Order: sequence, then structure tokens, then C-alpha cells
Amino acid sequence: MAAIGIDVFFATIPELNARLKAKEFTAEDLVRAFADRLAQLGPRYNALALPLNQEAIRAAKAVDKELKRERFRGPLQGIPYGVQDLLSYAGQPTTWGAKPYAGQVFDYNATVIEKLSGVGAVLTGKLAMVELAGGGGYRLASASLTGPGLNPWDRTRWSGGSSSGSAAAVAAGLVPFAIGSETSGSIVTPAAFCGVTAMRPTYGLVSRHGAMALSWTLDKLGPFAHTAEDCGLILQAIAGKDAKDSGSAGRSFYYTPQYARPMKDLRMGYAPADYAEWAEPAARPAFDAALAVIKAMGVLMVETKFPQFPYGAALSTILAAEQASIFEPLIASGKVNELADPAQIAGLKASLEVPAKDYLKAMRLRRLMQEAITRMFAEVDVLVAPARTGAASKVDQPLDRGAGAGAPAPKDPGFRAIIPAGNLAGLPALVLPCGLADGMPVALQLVGAPFSENTLLAVGREFQSRTDWHKRRPGSAAA
Amino acid sequence: MQLTRRKLAVVLTSGVALAQTPAAPPPGPEDLLQAARDRNKANAAALAAESIPMATEPAFQFKA
Repeated sequence: MAAIGIDVFFATIPELNARLKAKEFTAEDLVRAFADRLAQLGPRYNALALPLNQEAIRAAKAVDKELKRERFRGPLQGIPYGVQDLLSYAGQPTTWGAKPYAGQVFDYNATVIEKLSGVGAVLTGKLAMVELAGGGGYRLASASLTGPGLNPWDRTRWSGGSSSGSAAAVAAGLVPFAIGSETSGSIVTPAAFCGVTAMRPTYGLVSRHGAMALSWTLDKLGPFAHTAEDCGLILQAIAGKDAKDSGSAGRSFYYTPQYARPMKDLRMGYAPADYAEWAEPAARPAFDAALAVIKAMGVLMVETKFPQFPYGAALSTILAAEQASIFEPLIASGKVNELADPAQIAGLKASLEVPAKDYLKAMRLRRLMQEAITRMFAEVDVLVAPARTGAASKVDQPLDRGAGAGAPAPKDPGFRAIIPAGNLAGLPALVLPCGLADGMPVALQLVGAPFSENTLLAVGREFQSRTDWHKRRPGSAAA
Repeated sequence: MQLTRRKLAVVLTSGVALAQTPAAPPPGPEDLLQAARDRNKANAAALAAESIPMATEPAFQFKA
């Protein structure tokens, strides 16, 4: 068995692919090394839901046979990965991070897993998550069957949610990439807190068949990885039409950096208040420096006003009404009381009382929001904003008492509502680590019009060619 | 020293006394349920404040 050095655990997908092809190590060597590391270090961050070492090694041996015959399936062939435990994997537990579903087993694979298997990627484990993706409104980081997600940069801090394990596992070099989910912020937040690159695709681009439903009209699946380029390669593999997902957009995605528009042709919308007022003071130097890098790339920066709507109220109402329908059996049975977070239990119970008229009002308003946002994208190509206003909160701190809680809000809303607005309009987002605040990662998010992933990835790639924040490793993951 | 009611009141409202007061207990299930209901009502009120053209239909088949 070839020796796998620490650098391999933080290598990008093209780097791993090149080393596999060069026969520096076999797929089995690589998968064994990552699977062992995930099983050993995953619990340190409460990031591991289920190790799949045996299955992974079998799959890796099959990949090696293909590579020996020079049957190449693309850059993900032989690359280990993990999935949030919200995706079904036939014959193995799929807990959705929640005690009431701890014994749940499906007899089919999620479409995303099927697609990744089809290109030769090797699933090494299922990753921890906030229970039921946090739809009830959790108040504590401990709202998970596997305990609070611990941040590889500082285990006294939260890894973010709901895709806690996906972000932490990539940050700690336990998997080269992972799949997570977002209904409103569940990819953006953990990626920002853990300092990894991640993409929330356009609604409908990636099939959710086999994923826990939280909100049919908001749920999305997307990749966590080390670079924007990695995200593009993964997205190409997992995107596409799927008759098993009623929300499928029926479109494929081809990662085409060779056709990227020149940076000087791009207009980038931003709001100064995001950096000068909303960002936490410790994070401002990092955000300012990152914005300076973006300006130096040659894009045209345009001060932009985000259309004003009650995005948070609309998203919360839609989410509450849809999850109430989805989880009514759980709530009615009383098993909802087995969840770890009392606020989540209360939120799910109260969601049963949302009137139909409020849901419909929110869905009608959503159409107006989409129209206004479409008009905004006639003026700019990409929006840039802090992914979160600051670094990860302490793991023992209630999430509603983070830094800045209780402080008077700035008058200028900036892009404050970009996470709920982006999710309501189904917009893609790319999270880019952009610096440290008090030793913890902070990140920018790029948001574009529907199906503009290639533009976001091109900007992300250019940013990462000029910075090295995506290459920084947490100290606790050095072992 | 005899502790008058006035002196006792001063002691009880002093920083020292307050610092020794145990932290407020975490909210109970009923409090949390009421808070969740209040949030839903606040959301409904925010939505109600928005006027929508009568012809605006909800996106039953949502598309990005």
C-alpha cells in the first residue's frame, strides 16, 4: 500500500485525479486512507453519522480494475466523498440527524449518490447534520442526533448548520468533497464557518430524489469542496434532469471555465453597508481586503439596492407550511418530542397552525420577489456579500445570542436578506473563504441569476487564483 | 449590626447580590411554543402589510 501524506487529505480533485492516473497510489489506497481518517477523526468534530469503509473499499477495488484497463470516467473517478445523512443509501440507516428516525432504512439510493457512483466517486461515509435540517427553528448547536457540530478550526465553536458534518469533514481533510443541503442557509453558513468552498445550485438543477424533504419549493443539494473548480466538477456530475424529482428543472450543467466571460465584462453588485455596518468589527478587515481583491480583478463594481420585501417572513411562512405537511405524522404521533432541541419541537408544533391564506400570500409575494430580482439582474451579473457577518459562534452559546445580538440594526439593509431572498428566488450561490477573524474563517458569497453557475465559478476561480484562504488548514486537523 | 429593611433592600439590589442571582432558567416548552406562535403571527402581519395585485398567482409549480 502506498504511503498517503497529509497533503493528499487537502488536495483538490484535479490533483488527486492526476496522482491516481500517475499511479502514485491506487484508488483503494486513497479510499482506505480517507475512510480510516474519517472514521478516526470524524467523531472529534461530531461530523460522522455512519462510516461505510467496507462498501467503499469494494467500490475502490472496482475503480482500480477500470483504471488498469484505462477506462476513464472523469475527474471524480476513485475520489472519496461523504454525503449529509439526509440522503438515502440503500440498506444503511438514514437518520436525518434526528432520534425519531434513528432506525430508518431505505431500499434505494438518492439520485445524487447514483450519479456520483456512475462517474466512479466512492462514498466513504454519511455525515452529521442538524436534526431534520433545522426546519423547526433550532436554538442550540446541540440540535443533532450526533451532538453539536464542532468546528475543526476551534472545537469550542460551532461548525454551522444544517450541513454541519459536510463542511467540517471537508475542512478537516476527512473527505475531498461532500454533499450537503440548503433550504435557507444550510450550505452557506457551515461553509463560511468552516472555511471551505461550497455551492448552492439553482433550485431544480440537482435532483433531490432520495433526500429528506423539508420544503419542496426551497430544498436544494450542493457540493462542499476545497476550490471553486472542484465545485464545478462535482456539480457537473450531480446536476441534470430527474423525473423522480417534481422540482427538477430538466437541465444539465457543464462546467465550462474555457468559455468564462472576461472579468472586465462583469458587473458586480455590492452594498457598502454590508462591509461597513453589518459585518462584525473583527471580520471587517478580512472583508475589506477581499473586496479589494475583487476590485483588482477588473470587474465593474456597482452599488446596488436589493429589492425590499419581507423575505424572512415569506420564507419562514412557506417553510413552516410545507414542513407541517411533511412532518405532520411525526408531530401527531408525539415522537416529535424525541428531538434534541426544545425550540425545534415547538416550531414544528406551531407550524401546524399556519393558515393556508398565509402560505398562499407568501407564495404570491414570492412571485413578485422573483420578478424584482430578475429586474435587478438586468443591471448586474453577480452580487457579492459576506456569507455570514462574522465567524462561528461558541458551541455552548444559544444561536439567537450570537455576536451582535441585541445591537441596534443599521438603517441601510444592504444585502442583509440575501440568504432568504436567494433561496426564495432559487438563486445559485458560491461561498469563498476570504480571511480570518479572531483566528476563525469568514467568507464571501457570490450570488447570481438562475443557472449562472459558470459565471459564479469563474469569478470564484479568479478570486482563488489571487488568494490562498481556500488553502488554509485548521490546526486541529493536522494529525 | 442590625440590618434594617432599608439596608437589606440596598444589599439585595447591589451588584454583588445581583451577581449571585442564579441565571434565568431556560424557557420551558410552553414558553417556546408561544414564542413560535408569536413568530408565525409576526410573519403573517409582515405579509399582510404587503399589497399584491389581485391577478398575482402563487407559483404552485415553483421554477427558478
